[in-house]
Amino acid sequence: MITKRTNTPAMVLLILGLSTIIFPLYLTIVIAFKQPSEMTNSISGILSLPKVWSLNNFREAMEVTNFWNSLGNSLLITLVTVGLSIAVHSLMGYALGRNKAHSKFYSFVYLFIVSGMFVPFAILMMPLAKQTAEMGLANWVGVVLLYVVFYMPMNVLLYSGYLVNIPMALEEAAKVDGASTWRTYWKIIFPIMRPMHATVAVLTALSVWNDVMTPLVIMAGSEQNTLPLAQLNFQSQFGTNYNLAFASYLLSLIPILIFYIICQKQILNGVVNGAVK
Amino acid sequence: MKRRKMKYLKAALCCTAAAMAAGGCGNAPEDDKTQIEIVQYKPEAANYFSMVEKEFNETHDDIQLKISSPNDAMTILRTRFIREDYPDIIGIGGDINYSYFVEAEILADVSDYKGLQNINQAYLDIDEALELVPTDGTYAVPYVANAAGVLYNRDMFAEHGWEIPQNWEEMISLCEEIKAEGILPFYFGFKDIWTCLAPWNAMAVDLAPADTAKQVNRGETTFSTEYREVSEKYLKLLNYGPDDPFAYGYNDACTAFARGESAMYPIGSYAAPQILSVNPDLNLDSFVMPACDNQEDNTLNSGIDLQFCVMADCPNKEAAYEVLDFLLADENIQKYIDAQTAIPCKEGDFALPSILDGMTDYILAGNMTDYQDHYYPSEMAVDAQIQTFLLQKDVNAFLSKFDTDWQRYNRDIIRLVQDYEKEHGNAN
Amino acid sequence: MKNERKRTFLLITIPILALFVCFNTIPLIRGVIYSFTNFKGFGSYDWVGFRNYIDLFSDVRVGKSYLFTFKLAIASTIVVNVISLLLALALNSKIRAKSFFRGAYFLPNILGALVVGYIFNYFFTYILPAVADMIGIEALSSSILSNPGAAWIAIMIVCAWQAIAMNTIIYISGLQTVPEDVYEAGGLDGATGWKQFKYLTFPLIIPFFSINMVLCVKNFLMVFDQIMALTKGGPAQSTESISYLIYNNGMSGGQFGFQSANAVVFFIVIVVVSVAQMKFSGKKEEQL
Repeated sequence: MITKRTNTPAMVLLILGLSTIIFPLYLTIVIAFKQPSEMTNSISGILSLPKVWSLNNFREAMEVTNFWNSLGNSLLITLVTVGLSIAVHSLMGYALGRNKAHSKFYSFVYLFIVSGMFVPFAILMMPLAKQTAEMGLANWVGVVLLYVVFYMPMNVLLYSGYLVNIPMALEEAAKVDGASTWRTYWKIIFPIMRPMHATVAVLTALSVWNDVMTPLVIMAGSEQNTLPLAQLNFQSQFGTNYNLAFASYLLSLIPILIFYIICQKQILNGVVNGAVK
Repeated sequence: MKRRKMKYLKAALCCTAAAMAAGGCGNAPEDDKTQIEIVQYKPEAANYFSMVEKEFNETHDDIQLKISSPNDAMTILRTRFIREDYPDIIGIGGDINYSYFVEAEILADVSDYKGLQNINQAYLDIDEALELVPTDGTYAVPYVANAAGVLYNRDMFAEHGWEIPQNWEEMISLCEEIKAEGILPFYFGFKDIWTCLAPWNAMAVDLAPADTAKQVNRGETTFSTEYREVSEKYLKLLNYGPDDPFAYGYNDACTAFARGESAMYPIGSYAAPQILSVNPDLNLDSFVMPACDNQEDNTLNSGIDLQFCVMADCPNKEAAYEVLDFLLADENIQKYIDAQTAIPCKEGDFALPSILDGMTDYILAGNMTDYQDHYYPSEMAVDAQIQTFLLQKDVNAFLSKFDTDWQRYNRDIIRLVQDYEKEHGNAN
Repeated sequence: MKNERKRTFLLITIPILALFVCFNTIPLIRGVIYSFTNFKGFGSYDWVGFRNYIDLFSDVRVGKSYLFTFKLAIASTIVVNVISLLLALALNSKIRAKSFFRGAYFLPNILGALVVGYIFNYFFTYILPAVADMIGIEALSSSILSNPGAAWIAIMIVCAWQAIAMNTIIYISGLQTVPEDVYEAGGLDGATGWKQFKYLTFPLIIPFFSINMVLCVKNFLMVFDQIMALTKGGPAQSTESISYLIYNNGMSGGQFGFQSANAVVFFIVIVVVSVAQMKFSGKKEEQL
């Protein structure tokens, strides 16, 4: 039965599970405010609060990573990738999802693309570095194009999975009204897939935001840094400044968290759309 | 719906494009100047190199110098090599990558560079030895070296009246003495696998021939013969470390040693900045690992930490040499060794960092031997094999695996060496 | 009418497919070519025929890495799917502070590898043994990261901790496709709790279950970041995953050719596993 009361067992489960997240987060925040000389190996030492709460670590971290510039690059790459992914992958997911059941060709293309997910990046790295340079794409545009290709398998899988629950009847109704397939897609199917767009946006943005290897390899020597690339400056084999690094990671966590919260609302709004039947 | 989505997208694009522009994408090179680009692999020295870059450009009108100190420089270099987008000069370590680069013929012969005359011969010999097969010419200008042995807490030693050990017997009795006082002699950070190599190298230079790897490649000896004593003595050291040394990483060990939880830490001079960041007041010194039974047989484990190689592709060698001259100026080297606790490869009157006090005699006498692991291919994971050995404590299994794996991972190199021997063997 | 639809689908598929082939298939083929050489990643190289492949099947280290990777992947997949499904149901039910919880449970996925590595290293090295000592669990009183037999469990915990966020999001978006009236109808038939989940909810979200299975297999079989952050393959080479070997020995080391061969074989193995899995859950979907 659907009730208006709070689901108590769910609440208990969620609050218990939350401790596995609060604790690491607490450590991250505390360490981000401490000085290297406050680091110890004792448990009480690591749990203790910093001697002074000062934003110096954050200020210094922003300086070391050239924060605003790196943030700009990261935002540019992430947003363009997400926009392109939603447009391109949803179309591909639609074309493949609607045809793979009854057409050998589409079913082959579907499997071909989805299996691209399993290509270890290490094997593509060298050939791609060479290829993008030859094509004049050793810059952020090349990185975006590669992302659109790398995340295509996962997103096509997601979109075509979502399509299963969207009845054909909706499209057929539009067709009776004389709309072309292309128009029907943008007018009817694309809006209905909104919860999936939000999901894809979150998953893609997250992977892009944290990725180090692709920009490292493709943009090597271009002097342009993304945030994760700039954050590499904090660690080397012989010495890592954890305090600055943690401050910097906390800073770079904020934009993606905001993005997630916005998208989450969209996933929720899907309830209404999904109910159309 | 579509239009709204597009509007968002456009707005987002505009915002980020503006951010890009504000960040400044293009710094077009001034055309009439010669461009020299250096990529060096020590990001911890980035501040030093940006200072050098600035000072050089202020004093030179004809050359524009650009130095980058990226993290994971090896990946960046390899990617750029495959694109054939070579920098003019690379700053790398004297290890097996250097051997590979010489073999791949991507480095320029710099034997006509005058600055080489002032470089300590010991380090030029090390570079010579790193060539897989003897190759005519000089391919690197050694800049600074580091050394590995035992770091110790000077105040703690003074307080208890402990003496620096000169041979293996004294080493063990010192450890017993420290242990008897309820203090931990050594800290280890073996969870970070590479740290297993530090004591290994420091002892292996004392106990095995400097060119063990090359002798094996020529089929003259085996590791089972040469490394047995090293392995046995390493196991003895393990008794004087923490209960579960594999639980702690490099960072844990540095922190613990800095906080006085152990009297000594067998690691390289490179660890000093990390240790001092935790406890800036620690009175730190070092000594040479005394693995031999006779004091005279001991040698300091020291190798090239940073050297500059001009790329074969560099269009303007004269300009590259001018940059090298600047880097090798005495006052610049002094600044580097002060900032990074390093040993200069250039001869001259330099003030060595105080943490190297205990090693100075060896350095001045030139009694130094290169790290054995500079000859190990990284994919063989000798560090992980040593960690396995220290866990399982089976000397025979470890050494026989070492020998078989060596043959497998060095197949191409061994063939190269044997071909060379066949060709040149009769001439000798 | 029919033709227009067909043409539109082709016009969508062909250009996107071309892009994919250009940046995925072609570099892959180049990679496969390297697997027949002794290429180090730079400089000149020789053709070695099938030597790399022959070596691969006689290499104990590679064999061990396959065993470890599959053990880790299977365990993590089960743990992650059970927990994320529970979480998704909880987060989707009538609770207070829904947005807060959804935000909080997303956090593990965005913390960088350096932070996650440091914190969990600390947890397994110092905190867990101390806690175990206090409550007297002998087995846990030393770090599990230094125990070659148990280190994989630590890695599994971290993998699961990070991956749960992503799988939960996918389950939540799946739950959105279940129309409310299904529950209302079910409620009239007396389906509540476990029964409601088993007969109403789960069958409707099976496509999302298959997606999550495939993503889990992909993420965990290709595990790399967590290994680098926690053990770097140790102790005693007990946690070397396949991707770790491919990257470390191929990219950083001088075994580019050999590890390309490893990558090719690995790729084929995962494709076979996943296709089998998709076929299996595809059949399930049809049955319902």
